Amino acid sequence: MNPDSWYNEALPEQTRRKFLRALGAGTAATFLGGAPRSMAADRKSKNPEATADSCILLWMAGGMAAPETFDPKAYMPYEVGTPVEKIISTFPAIDTAVDNIKICKGLENIAGVMDRATLIRSHFQQDLGSILHSRHQYHWHTGYVPPQTVAAPHIGAWMAKVLGGRNEVMPPFINIGQRLEGVGESEELKAFTTGGFFGSEFGSMNLPFPELASQAVKPPGGMSPDRFAKRYKTLEGLLKNSPKSDELSDYHQESMLRSLDNAHRLLGSKEREAFDLSKEKKEVFDEYNTGKFGQGCLLARRLVENGARFVEVTTEYVPFLNWDTHENGHTTADRMHKQIDRPIARLIKDLEERGMLDRTLVIIASEFSRDMLIEGIPGSTARDQSRAKTDVLKEMKHYGLHRHFTGGSSVVMFGGGTKKGFLYGSTADERPCLAVDNPVSIEDLHATIFTAMGISPKTEFDIESRPFYATKDGKGKSVSDVFA
Amino acid sequence: MPLGAAVDFAHEVVPILKKHCVECHGGEKSKGGFSMNTRALVLEADVLEPGHPDVSLLIEQLTAEDPDERMPPPGKKKAPLNTAEIDVLKRWIAADVPWEEGFTFAKDRYEPPLKPRKVKLPAGPAGANPIDLIVAEHFKGEKLDFPVPADDSTFLRRATIDLTGLPPSPGFAAKISQGKPLNRDKAVDRLLADKQGYAEHWMTFWNDLLRNDYGGTGFITGGRKQVTSWLYPALLNNKPFDEFVRELVAPTKESRGFIDGITWRGEVNASQTTQIQFSQNVSQVFLGINMKCASCHDSFIDRWTLREAYGLAAIYSETPLELERCDKPTGEMAKASWLFPELGQIDASKPRDERLKQLADLMTHPENGRMQRTIVNRLWAQMMGRGIVRPVDAMNTEPWSEDLLDLLANHLVSSGYDLKAVLRLIATSRIYQSRADVREDESEAYVFRGPVRKRMTAEQFLDTIRAVTGVWPKADGDAFKEKGASGGQLNKVMKAHDLKKWDDRPIRTAFGKRDSLQAALGRPNRDQVVTSRPDSVTTLEAINLANGPELAGMIRAGAEKLGNAVDPKNLVQSVFRASLSREPATEEMEISLSLLSAKPSTEDIEDFLWSVFMLPEFHYIN
Repeated sequence: MNPDSWYNEALPEQTRRKFLRALGAGTAATFLGGAPRSMAADRKSKNPEATADSCILLWMAGGMAAPETFDPKAYMPYEVGTPVEKIISTFPAIDTAVDNIKICKGLENIAGVMDRATLIRSHFQQDLGSILHSRHQYHWHTGYVPPQTVAAPHIGAWMAKVLGGRNEVMPPFINIGQRLEGVGESEELKAFTTGGFFGSEFGSMNLPFPELASQAVKPPGGMSPDRFAKRYKTLEGLLKNSPKSDELSDYHQESMLRSLDNAHRLLGSKEREAFDLSKEKKEVFDEYNTGKFGQGCLLARRLVENGARFVEVTTEYVPFLNWDTHENGHTTADRMHKQIDRPIARLIKDLEERGMLDRTLVIIASEFSRDMLIEGIPGSTARDQSRAKTDVLKEMKHYGLHRHFTGGSSVVMFGGGTKKGFLYGSTADERPCLAVDNPVSIEDLHATIFTAMGISPKTEFDIESRPFYATKDGKGKSVSDVFA
Repeated sequence: MPLGAAVDFAHEVVPILKKHCVECHGGEKSKGGFSMNTRALVLEADVLEPGHPDVSLLIEQLTAEDPDERMPPPGKKKAPLNTAEIDVLKRWIAADVPWEEGFTFAKDRYEPPLKPRKVKLPAGPAGANPIDLIVAEHFKGEKLDFPVPADDSTFLRRATIDLTGLPPSPGFAAKISQGKPLNRDKAVDRLLADKQGYAEHWMTFWNDLLRNDYGGTGFITGGRKQVTSWLYPALLNNKPFDEFVRELVAPTKESRGFIDGITWRGEVNASQTTQIQFSQNVSQVFLGINMKCASCHDSFIDRWTLREAYGLAAIYSETPLELERCDKPTGEMAKASWLFPELGQIDASKPRDERLKQLADLMTHPENGRMQRTIVNRLWAQMMGRGIVRPVDAMNTEPWSEDLLDLLANHLVSSGYDLKAVLRLIATSRIYQSRADVREDESEAYVFRGPVRKRMTAEQFLDTIRAVTGVWPKADGDAFKEKGASGGQLNKVMKAHDLKKWDDRPIRTAFGKRDSLQAALGRPNRDQVVTSRPDSVTTLEAINLANGPELAGMIRAGAEKLGNAVDPKNLVQSVFRASLSREPATEEMEISLSLLSAKPSTEDIEDFLWSVFMLPEFHYIN
């Protein structure tokens, strides 16, 4: 079916002309001609020139311990009787493709692509008293500490709102791997997985299961292409012949038709195949496939190749699972290494091979780090949440970092105009491993990401007559050192 | 001039600030969160240190070498301040920032009257609805014609969905199509007499306003109490609104969830404590006052101050409350007080329950026109698609007709605070019963021309689909339990109706869990007070509507049920009647029949239903 048929056939000519006029020539050209849609911000500060067109956030949900991944400290092997205060890293450091950067054993593939990376070791988070994953994730994803008096948008929604989609069919903001129903704290997760005050137009398309992603853009279960086309044809016919067609130029109704048409176009587009992992070569799929997260990385690559603006892939937050190690930290981190190492490295190489890495910013981040002894930061009143409390190691479940540490964590950035093989900031080598050198707050990190995407950190919108900024109070400062 | 020389604020400083600064940092603007409206705001912003011009960020920014760092910013195309001007500002700072008492850069704003006001009605035919007299006068002034009446079927669908959240029964549509004119006044009375339909529908509106039926943060730790057991009977029995407000402000055990707000886990900023939530929510919901600004610092956008926000909070607080400005303690203690002392004041020395009772009395004081106007404006917006004052939460905004607003407010009071009486007055007016205004552009300056189309809420939309197909959901597992996501809502309904067990009455969407389809259609999670729902259908929703499993499941169940009954022609006719309250036009019948063969399969019927449900005419209350 001709994707433009809706507007060419369905609407009475007079109505159609009326609403094209109402929309203004630019917009009309956009949806008739298929040019990329771009939503201008309400009010813009001077935007920096973008060094990236797309952004992939690889979210290590649940608190990825920096000393167990990208910031190895003195290695202490497992030995019954070891006093726990001696334990910072439970993995030895390995060399990477960059001389002065070492990361933890288990991340050999990522070590091989560190020469394409900027590693920030001095990220830190605000201590919110009670360390709750969903609150810190809210803070990290929106730049604002919950609760807020208005619904704060996710950074992906900011990109969707300010930059729009990269083409006319692909939803700009896609969220992969996080179930929002039937898991603990799901309401809290939904609270930041949102377009917020921008409205649901800018909210995320959620694909909790990468392997089932194609269903999200397929005609409903069991519907053949013929039937799908016929159904739409019926709708078009009813619209065209409605005795109420004179009301269709009402802007609400008109925008509804546009949305239906966008949806229909996506569901019938070639970009739809990007959602279908079964279209990938088996050996490629197998290399990515370390589980849901690995599949998500592959899906993210396919979506960005086909015009997605912002894609988040998460290891998935489920209380006490994955990176949320309240006991058995070492064993779990070992398992998580296996999940993330191969697909992340392959993603970077794939993007590079396709010539896309320079314009795609890939970020590995987490809501906070972990420590063996400290909950929050030294002196925090936060409740100790370790489930493996002990003074000396007695069994394997004691071995690892079981407390939430907000004083220093690692962020890795690839591509999108960032430096290659660059190390920024550091944490203390001895406990407490606080960010000591060039600390980077969430606001500053967001400012850096927004800057790469060509969005001023001071971008503001009037919400309930108050200014609301892309970074808190417009004060986030981009870490300019990380850009090439 | 030497730094120590005197400075004349009004004649030297103000012109400079006006020329260079307040366009962005004064009036209603506060770029970068910085407003120069008052001395307090300037000092609070930490841009200067009184007495020390040499260490003032303000001067530093005004004199920066790099044009990107300098104020005014390059984009403003304003020249940098000259040396003489800088000199004045330096002297001003050196002299401890003198300011003229009461001076502000804030603009003169509309200040709404507080007390009720008598309305002198324009002349008109005897027996006319007073709303129409005022509206006709408005049209005369705007040189507009009174809009033509909506036809009976449009009117009936509109009124039925507006008042009960369900479409009219197909039988009514059939009668109308047979040419039997509808007695509209009677129809409105009949709808308002449907106590259950009314209560079930208005639960959605009040749940949003009161943050009831909330399953998010704080809920699992008991930080949130539902008020359903109080709210549902209150709506069912049309509790007079003054009592309604009193019982929410000075609550019983069952209604206290509203003022108790949400106890968030972990530390929250000062503007989200339960006391401040009380201040914000009570003023927003009942008075249309946005206290969110003032609960952090003196508001830039209206007249409310930090002290007033905390005064209200202190009524609720059981412990002494220190004012925090932008999350920093000020050392000043809040004194329980309320916003309109001209009506009376709170006695701060009394215990909390007494204070709350005093507040409830002040809130429902017969002279508190603000409370009356706020609720009637909300009802008007629900019925007419747009408030007389807009936004509905900013009652300090000038209404397009003060007379109309006051007429409705006075009607509320004279009817004994009967919300249904106000709805009746609106629904029986000629203007409510007129054809909806076709607006081609949202941004055109608003002049009232008649009713505005409303998008159905998630609850109205899904209930309407269920009414059409006759397939209602089964109660979910939590519905009859006291806890869980939809925790015990139906128990409260049963109790209100004196039912021993659930009979076969439909379970309305409002009583079910908010699933992903409902979330997509705009049912909020109620972290914040919500007073209006999204009015446009987005692309992601459209994808969900086109292929989401929830809707597809509902449609399939409907198709299976409808499939055994009738021949295709009857099917098309009854679906049009039930969905759109009208007969299908000849072409519509033909198109539908070409999809539905003589013996339609379930799939064909599904596709037909989907096509009807996707019509804007279905989604919108026209």
